[in-house]
Amino acid sequence: MFAQIALGTTEQGLMYSIMVLGVYLTFRVLDYADLSVDGSFTLGAATTTSLIVGGANPWLATGIAFIAGNLAGLFTGILHTKFKITPLLSGILTMTALYSINLRVMGRANISLLGSRTIFTDFAKLQFMDEYGILVLGLISVLCLGVIIYFFLQTELGLALRATGDNELMIRSLGVNTDFMKILGLSISNGLVAFAGSYVAQNQQFADVSMGIGMIIAGLASVIIGEVLIGTSSIGRTVIAVICGGVIYRMIIAIVLQLGLAATDLKLVTSLIVITALVSPNLRKKIASWS
Amino acid sequence: MLTVRNVVKIFNRGTINEKKALDHVSLELLANDFVTVIGSNGAGKSTLLNAVAGNFPVDSGEILIDGKEITRLPAHKRADFISRVFQDPLSGTAASMTIEENLIMALRRGKVRRLCRAIGPQERAIFHVELEKLGLGLENRLSHRVSLLSGGQRQALTLLMATLLQPKLLLLDEHTAALDPKTAARVLELTCSVTEQQQLTTLMITHNLDHALAFGNRTIMMHEGRVILDIKGIERNDMTISRLMEMFEKASGSHMNTDRMILA
Repeated sequence: MFAQIALGTTEQGLMYSIMVLGVYLTFRVLDYADLSVDGSFTLGAATTTSLIVGGANPWLATGIAFIAGNLAGLFTGILHTKFKITPLLSGILTMTALYSINLRVMGRANISLLGSRTIFTDFAKLQFMDEYGILVLGLISVLCLGVIIYFFLQTELGLALRATGDNELMIRSLGVNTDFMKILGLSISNGLVAFAGSYVAQNQQFADVSMGIGMIIAGLASVIIGEVLIGTSSIGRTVIAVICGGVIYRMIIAIVLQLGLAATDLKLVTSLIVITALVSPNLRKKIASWS
Repeated sequence: MLTVRNVVKIFNRGTINEKKALDHVSLELLANDFVTVIGSNGAGKSTLLNAVAGNFPVDSGEILIDGKEITRLPAHKRADFISRVFQDPLSGTAASMTIEENLIMALRRGKVRRLCRAIGPQERAIFHVELEKLGLGLENRLSHRVSLLSGGQRQALTLLMATLLQPKLLLLDEHTAALDPKTAARVLELTCSVTEQQQLTTLMITHNLDHALAFGNRTIMMHEGRVILDIKGIERNDMTISRLMEMFEKASGSHMNTDRMILA
């Protein structure tokens, strides 16, 4: 039974790690506090489930979820770069608008995927995949995306993106259109988040309009946990760190639930986890300096 | 090379803080000119540089590089011909990125950023050679983060980045003002050698009157948004600081705030 829980948690963790990659791109690389994540996560889920229930190919539906996320990121980017709305507010505006849009996309507050064909039911049909199919598909997806992000951040375009988040004045004087960079970063990030939402919806076999609420906190907590535990000395290490952070965060939540805490206490637990993760490096340094 | 024609820039127009930063400024730089710009605070020196760099649109007038009009171009589109070194040593480089990553971004100045691997062994070889010329030992630290470097090292790196790909115009905005005297001297030395080597057209703002006369081939002085003195050739060779101040007082009708200029 414990193994069952561990398996389920790891599967979930890997899917949420896709979202964490997206949060890493905006929050760390672009230095942009993008709150639209709460909305785009649900957007991905809503888009995929409505398409699947409508009879579409689930793989195609998952791909379209990514594009839907791109559009959400594009919207936030335009609000910030063209209308000069602050980063925080532009994310909030998109998130707010998406709540209604998600309801429109689904037609109602939630959609069930029981009995429908999803990427997981498809994948389970392959050899050896009926028990561990979800885990394997999740693992392959996260690893592929992680590798793509890693190589992307080493390309000329990726460097320009990183520089936009680090020193906008400098990279503009080197000829980069930083408005375009921000829109690109937000687009890719929200695409990843929506993609993750699509995965989660297909795994739990339903989509709910409120499933994205609190995603940004979970994402940030995962990024921070990963960075503190694994380190950020290089881009590759950081990418691995945030992916692991996503899984570790879910594991901590699962352990806490097993210990008997109510599900309603989870927000408090998340807060405490992030505080611990942020305080522990300083604490370690202080203890080292005393001895 | 650079033509600034009747440029006007007013900040906070119509409000109580209205300031005419550039008052019909006209300036002509020939290729290879190294012009030092001096003037009291608020004279419009940085505003002129920012206007040429394209950080804000000018209210009227034209700016041309090599006869081509760039008045309407945004800053990032002017990067093809213009390079800048800022006053703050921290604003010329990306702190969280390595030396070689910063250099490769400078190597692509003004060019489209592609989806291909940025740094290869060829580029590393170039960087090694160029960094050696700085004489700061940075050539052995290519994969170190820039945040580990001192202000002087970062400024030297910014200068190298600005000239890695030869620009048509190099803008230096008091680029040694925040450095200690020894490092400032080193960076100025580097500035001299690279501008001579690449025959760069340069516009350098400085508060140090000694430097203003010692470096370059031409000195202009600004006051209240206008160019009031333009000295070159024999007149400049014989110029002394006290005569410069005399000329300033005559041309502007006021005393120059000289403490910072002499003691800088």
